[in-house]
Amino acid sequence: MAKEKIKQYIRSLDIDKKIISCIDSGILILDDELKIYSINKWLELHTDLKEESIIGKRVDEIFKEINLKRLTRKIRTALIMGTPTFYTASTSKYLIPIKINQIGISKYSFMQQDVSIIPLNETKKLVALIITDQTNIANTNALLEENSNKVKELNNELIKEKDTIDKKVLLIKFDRKFKITDVSQAYLELLEYEKDELVGKHIFEYEKYDELKDLKTDIIDSINKQTVFKFEHNIETKNNKLLHMLTRQVPEYNIYGEHIGFIFFKEDITASKELYEHQEQIILNSRFAAMGEMVSMVAHQWRQPLSVISSNLISLKMKKELNILESKDIEESYERMGNAIQYLSTTINDFSNFLTSDKNLKEIELSIFFEKSMILLKNIIISDKITYSQKIDSNIKISTYQNELVQAIINIIKNSVDAFEENEINNKQITVEATKDETNAFIYIKDNAGGIEDKLIKKIFEPYFSTKSKNKTGLGLYMSKKIIEEKLEGTISVKSYNKSTEFLIKLPLIQGK
Amino acid sequence: MKTMTMTEDEKDVLQELINVAYGRATALIADMLDAFASLSIPKIEIMTTVELINIFTKLKRSSYFFSAQAFMGEFSGESAFFIDEESANNLATHLELENKEDLDDAILELTNILTSSLTTEFAQEIGTDVTYSVPTIVKQSSDELENNETIHKYSQVIVIETELNFKEHKINGQIFIFTKDGSIEWLKKRLNSILEALT
Repeated sequence: MAKEKIKQYIRSLDIDKKIISCIDSGILILDDELKIYSINKWLELHTDLKEESIIGKRVDEIFKEINLKRLTRKIRTALIMGTPTFYTASTSKYLIPIKINQIGISKYSFMQQDVSIIPLNETKKLVALIITDQTNIANTNALLEENSNKVKELNNELIKEKDTIDKKVLLIKFDRKFKITDVSQAYLELLEYEKDELVGKHIFEYEKYDELKDLKTDIIDSINKQTVFKFEHNIETKNNKLLHMLTRQVPEYNIYGEHIGFIFFKEDITASKELYEHQEQIILNSRFAAMGEMVSMVAHQWRQPLSVISSNLISLKMKKELNILESKDIEESYERMGNAIQYLSTTINDFSNFLTSDKNLKEIELSIFFEKSMILLKNIIISDKITYSQKIDSNIKISTYQNELVQAIINIIKNSVDAFEENEINNKQITVEATKDETNAFIYIKDNAGGIEDKLIKKIFEPYFSTKSKNKTGLGLYMSKKIIEEKLEGTISVKSYNKSTEFLIKLPLIQGK
Repeated sequence: MKTMTMTEDEKDVLQELINVAYGRATALIADMLDAFASLSIPKIEIMTTVELINIFTKLKRSSYFFSAQAFMGEFSGESAFFIDEESANNLATHLELENKEDLDDAILELTNILTSSLTTEFAQEIGTDVTYSVPTIVKQSSDELENNETIHKYSQVIVIETELNFKEHKINGQIFIFTKDGSIEWLKKRLNSILEALT
């Protein structure tokens, strides 16, 4: 009996109604015709509607945007199955439009809702729609999705970058126990190894420094100090190809800043090292070639005085054998031979002066400079029947390294002389002209030795390039360009027209200014 | 985690109970979609979570998406519904749906009907009640699914697999209802008491 009394008492309290009015969700009771039977306080407050004013009305009369077909289907299904059906905020957004008036950033203007349609009474076809506010979760989800997309994007970029690094950067990683942990694809290809042939091995097992004990000590020292260290060394590929590598060793840290190992960033400098050695060789060869040229010019200059000496000696000997030698003959021969010997000596001095490199800049008058320089080539030019002429104003003066300029000029003129030897030309001419502007002097050296073909003219300043057949090193013009550009701060160019070749040398009036 | 197996008898009883449930589900779906639907006879298997994930991964590759719904009570677990893209489009056409949200909602509805009709009936047969959570679309990729800690908490799952087929409309889907370790034990007890009552 006591139990019955409690039940009656509870019923008198109308406890269900009270709970429903306190609950933090909307409750809407409908039949399968969508007629409203009841709404709770929550829904009243959120929609600004009173239960009395809407009871008996169809829900679509009150909330016009409701999709009737869908709602009817869900209600029917719930009633038939006897289990709930649902709307979810993630796909349906909301059923009852409730404006959000909260302060704070929200992606939505209307409350996002999960709705459970619960069958209440099968005979009266009643269902309860329980509406729960999912806006916060929807906002969190949207934010999460946004950030997750950003992370995915960043991750993709990282993967792409990692892939590029793997394919392009030569690197090898090893842990604090010197065990190789990773090798980039690019480096593997260079070394001709497979990854698993290296990973797990001790770094010094693959990079041997047995003959370079000091280097190995330095590497270990910098590893212990976790410092960056740069060194050059040779390394052998799997197929015993020798490579010259520049290595930059850097410590590696994980995202927590803990030291986990080291990375060797490698640069294959085999080619540049070979190029450097090749250039050194060219310079050496050029010096020999320049000396050779000079010796041949000296020989040319000496031929005449030597023949003077020789003919005087023969004349003296013949006169003595015929007993017609007089003291006057001896004196005259002595003087002639003395002059010739003096000439030989002067020639040697002239050439040796020009062969030594200048340490200081010197102001020179271009017209006088060319006259002096041509002394060195005089005999060759005369013997080859070449007409040399120059048109240089006496007021063109430049401050430069004289001997270097002579070497450059002689190489160019010698190139013209050699060209005449190759081609049968009447009226052989070499002309030198010079002009100036405010800052530069322009020297034009022109010959009519047949010109240069278009396809060859681009290569004319390359080392070992020569169109001449015999005993030519092909280093003359290369050296001229190197001297003019690197030592004299000038430029040199060439053009060929009407069977003529014209070099233009541009030099600063005052070098180093 | 202990490994559990089901005896042939247990399997038989379970199969019978499920068969009753799926007949009712078929009728409901046909009603909802206003079309003739058939559900294949459910296959019941106990498998490891790894095996289940493998099946999911394969299905997910060809799926429009998959949805899941949890059910709670003494008999608790989850359902997962897979539908391929062509079927999803056909469903949209058949229901005259206007946009993607409507289609997603319809698929969730289908998931709900399948899950609740299959489990409610079954729960009633074994004398228990179940409640349902809101069905959700699972957006996790298969890799993420594989790394999902929850799924790895369980060693075994009972999988009830059935295929939904609307021949006229070319709509096919697969639903998996799976319960985990605790429920398996409970279920075995219930099945055995039914078996005892029968003998």
